[in-house]
Amino acid sequence: MVNLQPYASPSYFIIIGLCLLPIIVGLYHGKRFVAYETLFSLVFIVLTFGGDHWHQGVALIGYVLYQLLIVGGYARYRRRNNQTSVFVAAVVVAIVPLVVVKVTPAIQVGSQSLLGFLGISYLTFKAVQMVMELRDGTIKAFQPLPFLRFLLFFPTISSGPIDRYRRFEKDYRTAPERAKYLQLLNKAVFYLFLGFLYKFVLGYIFGKLLLPEVAHAALLQRAAFFHTGLSLPLLGYMYTYSMYLFFDFAGYSLFAVAISYLMGIETPMNFNRPFAAHNIKDFWNRWHMTLSFWFRDFIFMRFTFFLMKHKLVKNRVRISQCAYLVNFLIMGFWHGVTWFYIVYGLFHASAIIINDYWLRFKKRHQGLPHNRWTEGLAIFTTFNIVCFSFLIFSGFLNVLWFK
Amino acid sequence: MNAHKTIWQIIGPVIVAVALVAVVFIVPQGFGNVSKQTEQKAAVSLSTNVFKGNKIKSQAIDDGYVPFIGSSELSRMDPLHPSVLATKYHRSYQPFLLGKPGTQSLVHYFALSGVMRHLKNRKVVFIVSPQWFTKQGQMPTAFDYYYSPLETIHWLTHAHDSVATRYAAQRLLTMPSASSDRIMKAAITNVAAGKAITSGQRTYLTTKEKLLVNADDLYSRLVSGRRLRHIQQAERQLPAHDSTAQLTKVANRLGAQATGNNRFGVKDSFYNLRLRGHNVQNLRQAERNFNYTQSPEYSDMELLLSQFAKYHVQVMVVIPPVNHKWAKYTGLSDKMYAQTDHKIKTQLQSQGFTHIVDLTHDGGQKYFMEDTIHLGWRGWLKMDQQVKPFLSRKQPAAHYRIQNRFFSRTWQLSQNK
Amino acid sequence: MDTKQTIIAILQDITGADVSDDLDQNIFDSGLVDSMATVEMLLELQDQCGIDVPISEFDRNQWNTPNKIIEKVASMQ
Repeated sequence: MVNLQPYASPSYFIIIGLCLLPIIVGLYHGKRFVAYETLFSLVFIVLTFGGDHWHQGVALIGYVLYQLLIVGGYARYRRRNNQTSVFVAAVVVAIVPLVVVKVTPAIQVGSQSLLGFLGISYLTFKAVQMVMELRDGTIKAFQPLPFLRFLLFFPTISSGPIDRYRRFEKDYRTAPERAKYLQLLNKAVFYLFLGFLYKFVLGYIFGKLLLPEVAHAALLQRAAFFHTGLSLPLLGYMYTYSMYLFFDFAGYSLFAVAISYLMGIETPMNFNRPFAAHNIKDFWNRWHMTLSFWFRDFIFMRFTFFLMKHKLVKNRVRISQCAYLVNFLIMGFWHGVTWFYIVYGLFHASAIIINDYWLRFKKRHQGLPHNRWTEGLAIFTTFNIVCFSFLIFSGFLNVLWFK
Repeated sequence: MNAHKTIWQIIGPVIVAVALVAVVFIVPQGFGNVSKQTEQKAAVSLSTNVFKGNKIKSQAIDDGYVPFIGSSELSRMDPLHPSVLATKYHRSYQPFLLGKPGTQSLVHYFALSGVMRHLKNRKVVFIVSPQWFTKQGQMPTAFDYYYSPLETIHWLTHAHDSVATRYAAQRLLTMPSASSDRIMKAAITNVAAGKAITSGQRTYLTTKEKLLVNADDLYSRLVSGRRLRHIQQAERQLPAHDSTAQLTKVANRLGAQATGNNRFGVKDSFYNLRLRGHNVQNLRQAERNFNYTQSPEYSDMELLLSQFAKYHVQVMVVIPPVNHKWAKYTGLSDKMYAQTDHKIKTQLQSQGFTHIVDLTHDGGQKYFMEDTIHLGWRGWLKMDQQVKPFLSRKQPAAHYRIQNRFFSRTWQLSQNK
Repeated sequence: MDTKQTIIAILQDITGADVSDDLDQNIFDSGLVDSMATVEMLLELQDQCGIDVPISEFDRNQWNTPNKIIEKVASMQ
């Protein structure tokens, strides 16, 4: 049995290109071949989760049925009732498999949960989103097939970008007009090639060629600076890893967006020149955008709403600080239950809280200088703080200090 | 009309790109030889790309480089390292280093299959570490890391049925790399069963080979010059004349400078990096039950020997010791190590591989080992005293008598007394 | 007080800035309103205008200028 990992090899792109041809021709003539698309998506899911990865395939099927039951059940309930406790229960039950998968390696070192499969986090984001929107009443009718299509949309199944149900459905229900589709096609080709440059050239240079070298050099400096291992090569590792992380992930996201465009679905972009951010807040509007917006809309805003509405905390500054802490701590845990992911979350929460103090200070003192030098300084500072957070995120310090 | 024009503007560049890639990779290129300088860099780079490739290795051997086949010790590049000595004193041979941590006989066997014909009637130095001979033998993860599809395809398309070939194919099938390509796996399965590969498989393999050859041709040129610069710096610490007495002095001085912060005579930087603290505590008596006398590695090594015999390659085999103080501390058995050494030598000598540098009794000498199991200053020097004459002078033709019994499970498990 | 005045007052209360000179400015791009201020605004709208906007209904592109907010609120009242 063949196994194809998404966007990993030239053969994947050739196969996907050939399989997409009928869809492209159809969309060009204003027709969406739903049956063919469904079949084609299924085949690709089987190719991704089949072969040696069959156990992941089984986990995926189980997971999808489970979420279908929860979301479907909640939708049915929501038609007549709207109790908060049931809503909370539905959300909790929906994230249980993800929690199990994330916690298992932390409890039993080195073992992976049998419930896990590539992309479980991203599917969970989509399912939880459904429950929340059903609660809000912005999604009224629950239809199993469109839900499955949304959940299992294969270009984004393994690592996002995370789309929104209503937006996705709107694209899917119609075929774009020809002029519009040509624009999409044009962008798709550009994104594909940009993705090749990012992932297979720059990502390769930073990740495969440079990273092992700087890692080795940094490990040799373990005893440096009072045995903390702080050294110039470590700094080199920090920047190299940051570049690798960006180009690898942004490249991947570009592929996912490009393939979606070819299918006439405008999956949202994931990155918008993140290293040009002026501050940490700005950074999170540019980095892994679909994730940070998901967190913004479904965690941060809901949590602040809850605090304010019930007047649990009076001071609005404290409210936002609490919300940041909760938001980024959850994000840290989501990355994995290890000290460095959690510290990464806390670091970003602290950074954004300090950032907010500064923004308030700036607001009160309107006379502060503002020119391209201060802007340059802001970008430079933000970039370095972000790179430092990625050094934490990389887990390299764990190796450097404890292994 | 307008839409059609637009669509061509969109697809045009894609077609051009695909065509260009096809031209570069599928059409045989012959990008020409690599430069002497690249060759020189590659010889000491220990680059995995060079190791897995074919182009540079073959060209360097044709140009007179001598493969030094081994594993992690090759990266211990102090000034007495064979590459530094050969460069400094403009010896008639230059080593081409093949091996990194985790490369054992099986990895080498496949990685050398395409360059064997270039080695015909030439010489190699083969550093066999007793540490390879574990119960498992070649670690599958390391095999995967060093697995060369290019060289393996060459091996597959040139395989003739024999005990050795079947054994090699069966070993390959136990490695995860064998499953990375379905058609290739079927071909390997055929070979393992003593059958020929089908013509369909052959067509597929030769097509894939073309692609890989071109990729190798393009990418193997990108070799880092970092280690060559290191070698050139190390050279400066050597005396002007190639004299054993003076070199010994230098070896003693460098060894004394680099060690001293630990009771094992292990290089300080290595100790700080790998052993200091809990690590050293945890390793006390940790190797008490290590056993190198029974291992599939014996038969894996036989694969290499059979290839050397087939191409009349003159081989000098080096068997390094362990750091004696370290062995005492970890509880590694002296007796077991001697038995391993004896078994390796029996296998070599009974088949006509008589150039053996057995260093296993020298692990207690000062500055002989750079760290726990790797040769250093005086160790390199002692090895050089036999390697230099072997490589510099003409040797009488070797007469090898390969015996298939060394491929058997019985031999792998035999506790030769 | 009409909707327009109410909204301008709410925004002034939350952001400390008077938005009445330019009702078409993008309040998110300028950093005047962030996620936190959005939540405050939604709560104020609930209290003062009696409209209930769920967070998932809140699409930034449809609420990014004072004029758009006024229009939205008016349509929901």
